[in-house]
Parts: sequence; structure tokens; C-alpha cells
Amino acid sequence: MSRFHLTWDKGVGLFLIFTILLGTFSSEYFATTSNLTFIIRDVAEIAIIALAMAYLIIAGEIDLSVASMLSLSSATIGFLYRAEVPFEMAMLGGLLAGLLAGLFNGFLVTVLGLPSLAVTIATLALYRGMCWILLGNKPVNQLPSEWVNLGYSQIPGTFLPWTVIPVVVLAAASWFVLHGTRFGRWVFAIGVNPQAAEFSGIPVRKVKLLLFAFTGFMSGIAGVIYTLRFASASPDGAVGYELGVIAAVLFGGVSIAGGVGTLWGVIAAVLSLGVIRSALQLVDFSANALLVVSGGLLLISVISPKVTDYVRSQRSKASTTKLTRRNERVKP
Amino acid sequence: MSLIRNLLRARELPVFAALLIVMGGTSLAVPHFFSAKVALDLFLGVAVIAILAAAQTFVIVMRHIDLSVGSTVGFSAFLIGDAYSKGLGLGTGMFLAIGLGVLVGALNGFLVGYLKLPSLVVTLASLYIVRGIFNEYATGQTIIESEVPPEINWLGLNRLFGVPYLFLVGLAIVIIAGFVMKRMRAGRDLYAIGSNPQAAELAGIPVARRVFFAFVTTGGITGLAGAVLLGRFNSANPNSGLGLELLVVAACVVGGVTIAGGAGTVYGAFIGAILLQGITLSIGALGIPQFWQQAVNGSLIIGAIALDRYLSTRVKRTSIMGSKNE
Repeated sequence: MSRFHLTWDKGVGLFLIFTILLGTFSSEYFATTSNLTFIIRDVAEIAIIALAMAYLIIAGEIDLSVASMLSLSSATIGFLYRAEVPFEMAMLGGLLAGLLAGLFNGFLVTVLGLPSLAVTIATLALYRGMCWILLGNKPVNQLPSEWVNLGYSQIPGTFLPWTVIPVVVLAAASWFVLHGTRFGRWVFAIGVNPQAAEFSGIPVRKVKLLLFAFTGFMSGIAGVIYTLRFASASPDGAVGYELGVIAAVLFGGVSIAGGVGTLWGVIAAVLSLGVIRSALQLVDFSANALLVVSGGLLLISVISPKVTDYVRSQRSKASTTKLTRRNERVKP
Repeated sequence: MSLIRNLLRARELPVFAALLIVMGGTSLAVPHFFSAKVALDLFLGVAVIAILAAAQTFVIVMRHIDLSVGSTVGFSAFLIGDAYSKGLGLGTGMFLAIGLGVLVGALNGFLVGYLKLPSLVVTLASLYIVRGIFNEYATGQTIIESEVPPEINWLGLNRLFGVPYLFLVGLAIVIIAGFVMKRMRAGRDLYAIGSNPQAAELAGIPVARRVFFAFVTTGGITGLAGAVLLGRFNSANPNSGLGLELLVVAACVVGGVTIAGGAGTVYGAFIGAILLQGITLSIGALGIPQFWQQAVNGSLIIGAIALDRYLSTRVKRTSIMGSKNE
């Protein structure tokens, strides 16, 4: 008889359903199509970057520069467009800027062997500084209206915003690669034990380089969407997004120690945080409550595995077999 | 002889050299760079970051990190002004500010030290929670100059031989923290924990207790730094201290405090903080647009990490060769 085994990511899924129900009961405006459109549009950038961040954290690395890369992509678009480059080419330039920024992070971590936490704090400042150099303090606002319309109009005949297409496509592709291919298994193997992965023939450094480049590219895509959504390219966009992305990924059940996590959990976490934000706004709670709730959820997501471990070890003490507890690696 | 050798091997040497080059180079290019005004800007600007970097060193040396300092320092600054404006006086305000820091530190320390939770996640959570409670409490209000206790106001405006008192407060904290880390047993234990947590445990160091109290100390100093932040700007608002945590970690890393733990000193972090502030001033003096400042800072941090990595691998290589006979 197969029992339903409650894992953290399924728990987050249930939590998402719970938050939707809570939102529906707390405000009559919650379950309206215009509010659902708002929620999806609101979480799009964080969702896209969180997909890539999940890969990185599962592989035992981290990237704090994602918000700056998003902004660098946006600033590049603005800079090129101001220099009278066609807008389509400018958007390609934005994607390229994200990709190059991610590659540079990967170069510093995999080729020079520097710790990713420290390096990406540095590139967080560097890429943000490049935004200021590119645009100065003058945002670019006169973007072509046919593109800007995509940022806030819906797919004809539905309530879904256009941004839902890249989000769903990227989520499906990321899910398939992580959970359905050999490359995905490599990512987990590297996160569990990089030395063992190296000895079993996995090109650890190449995989990590690719993951950093991927994160930069996804931040670049998020930058394009961000630019269209706000119809503006400014040097100070999306400041502090990196912590929101990391909070969503960790709440989604990805372990900061590496080697553990599912993309379903991450997507459910991003959505439930978006739903909570919307519900809190509708019942006139301040944005501050959301900060406290995000922090609380983050704490719960790291405490609860400890609690289940403890319960299990108490149970195994009662039984005759002696269970050696997993020696957990603690990382900052 | 051994003194010179020790000096040359000091981890603080590269960052100190960089500081001299930046300040020296700027004063060569801009003859009147070293003026009283620049010195004042440097001293005032560096005080808060220097204190927070000294506090952060306790934590980073143990291979942990505390991201919650930006929220705590802002809330502390606000509490001091808020208590004073409600007629509670400076003493109560300081008690509340340091109490808040100790409380946040104790929460972080308990979760990281005793429950063995990852410090990055725990302190990211407390960053959010403290900022959220702070903003809810502040309800968009601003502490204006008339609500700042006059003693703190005085610290920010007056100088001893041209050195602002705020900087001297920071310097005193750095020296005390440096003494604890260099000479006291508890401080040395933090290095042992950061070098190898398992070995430290086996060597009989009470790792959990040390981690707990290191976080409490960091929190307490952060609460105290709230007073300095308030004195620096003579105001506080719900955005005070926002994003300061990354600047503080950057100052530590530039100053040779290794993110991998086990190495680095409070003085290094202090020089790192001065270097970051000095570069800001140099950029202004050299007439480079301010827009370049962040990019220069970022490149500098990358350079510092790379240099640190190079030096540490060099040391390791010699130690392996040295132990050839064993």
C-alpha cells in the first residue's frame, strides 16, 4: 500500500492552495480576473530568476547579483535605445548583457576559484554601478508603445497577461532539465558532494559555469519583462530583489546546503508569496506584514526539517536498530 | 627582524597599501585633496560602517554571516529618537536600542548555534522580520533633528583635535573588539570554530555557546551603532540602514576577513571600511562622475577576494612543502 508521503515541496503546494482559499474568503476582490492578472504580472520576474537560482543553490552555489543583472539588462536596453538602436536589437542587447554578466560571475567562481557568496556581493555593486554609468541619472521613458503594451495588456480573449507565456515556457523547460535529464542529476550530485561528483566524471566546473551563465541570462529575460512592465529603463530598478528571490527559493524547499530541492516547490513558493502579498493588500494590511510573513516562512522552512529529524531520531531510539544521524553540513 | 617579517605577512598589508595608494595618488593628482573638510567627511562617513564591520568580523570569522544588521541598526537609531521624543530620555533609548540588538542577536545565535540552522537563511529571515516590525512601528514617521537627544547630536557635531567624536566612539569599539579577538580565549575560539567546526568541537570548545554569544555581541554592538547612525544624519526614518548589510560584509572582505572563516582581524575590517569610504571621496575629488563609484567599489571587492585567494593558496603551498619530512 503506497502511503502519501508529505514532503516539504508538497507542503508548500498545500500552503499555496490554503493561501488562495484564505484570499478568496478574506476579500471579494481577490478571486477576480483583474486581481489574478495582477498577481501573475507581479511575480513574473521573481519567478523567472528563482528558476535559475534554484539550480545554483541545489549545486551548492549562490548568486546575490541577480537584481543588479536584471537592472543591467534593463539599463542596456535603455542605453542602446537612446543611442537609436532599433528596440528589438536593444532587447537582444539586454539579454546579452545578462548572459555576459552571468558568465563573468561563473568565471570568477569556477576559473579563479573564489567563493560565490563574496564574489556576487562584489558583482552586485559592480553591475549596479554599470547601470549608473550607462544611464546616468536619466531614465529612458519613451519606449515604443507596441512593445510596452505587451507589458501590461492581456492575451486577447483571456485574463492572462502576456508575461505568462515566457514564465510557463521557462518553468516547464527548467523543470524538465532539472528533473528529467542527466544534466539535472549532475546538478544534484554536485550539490551533495562536489569531490565525489568530480571523481565520478562529472565536469563540475563546466556545469557550474553554465549555471551562472544561465542565471545571468534568466535575469536578462526578467530585465526585458521588467522594462516593458514599467515602460521605463532606470538605473535603480529592482533594488533588493535578490533577497526576495533567495527567500522564495529556500521557502520552496531548496536546501542552502545544496543537493536538495524541487522546482515545483520553488514555483509554489513564488506563487504563494505573490498570493499572500495580494491578499494582504486587499484586506488593507500594510506591506510590512508581508516582510514579517516572508521572514517567518523562511524560518519555518529551515526549522521544520530539524523538527522532523528530531521526531524520527526519538522514534528510532525506541526501536532496537540504532540509527546513525546524517552528518549535516552547515553552511553560512 | 621578526617584527618586519610579521608585518610583511600581515593580512591587513595589501588593503593598507591600497588605502595609501588611493589616498596618496589622489592627493598627488589633486593638490588640495587633504583638507580638513575631506578628513571630516572620511571620519564621519566611516564611523557606522567601521563599527558594524568590527561586529560582523566576529561572525564571519566563524564561517557564518549576519545579514540582519542593516535592519537592526536602523530600528535602533529610530528607537533612540522615538524614546527621546516621548520624553523617556537618552538612557532609556540606549537601553531599548542595545536591548533590541541583543534580542535579535540572541534569536539568530540560538537558531544558528544550538539548532545548527544555516546563518545565511536565519539572518535573511530576521532582516525581513525586524524591518517589517520596524516599519509597522514607525508608520512612516521620521525622527527629525529636534527629536535627536542633544548628547548624540553633540557627538555628531563636535570634534576633538579635528577628529569627530563619532569617529572616536567607532575607534574605541574597534579597539575593544580587536583586543577581544586577539587576546581573549573566547575570541581565539571563534577562529578555531571558523577554521574547522568539527575539530573545534573535538578540542573541547563549547561551539554552540560561542556561536550564540558571538551573535549576541554582534547584535549588541549593532544596537549601539544605531546611536552613531542617528548622530551621523541627525535623523532616522523607516528606510534607515536599508541595504547596509552588504556594504558591511564588503568592508570585511576587502579588509581580509575571509568569507570561508578562520582568518582576518577587526583592524583589517576597519581599514577595509576606511578604504571604501576613501575611494568614494577620491572619486569625487578627481572629478570622476559619481556614477562610477559603485562600479569601482565592486571591482575593488573582486580584486580583494582574488588577492586573498592567491595569498592563501600560496601559504598552503609552502606549508605542504614544509611538511615534506614528516
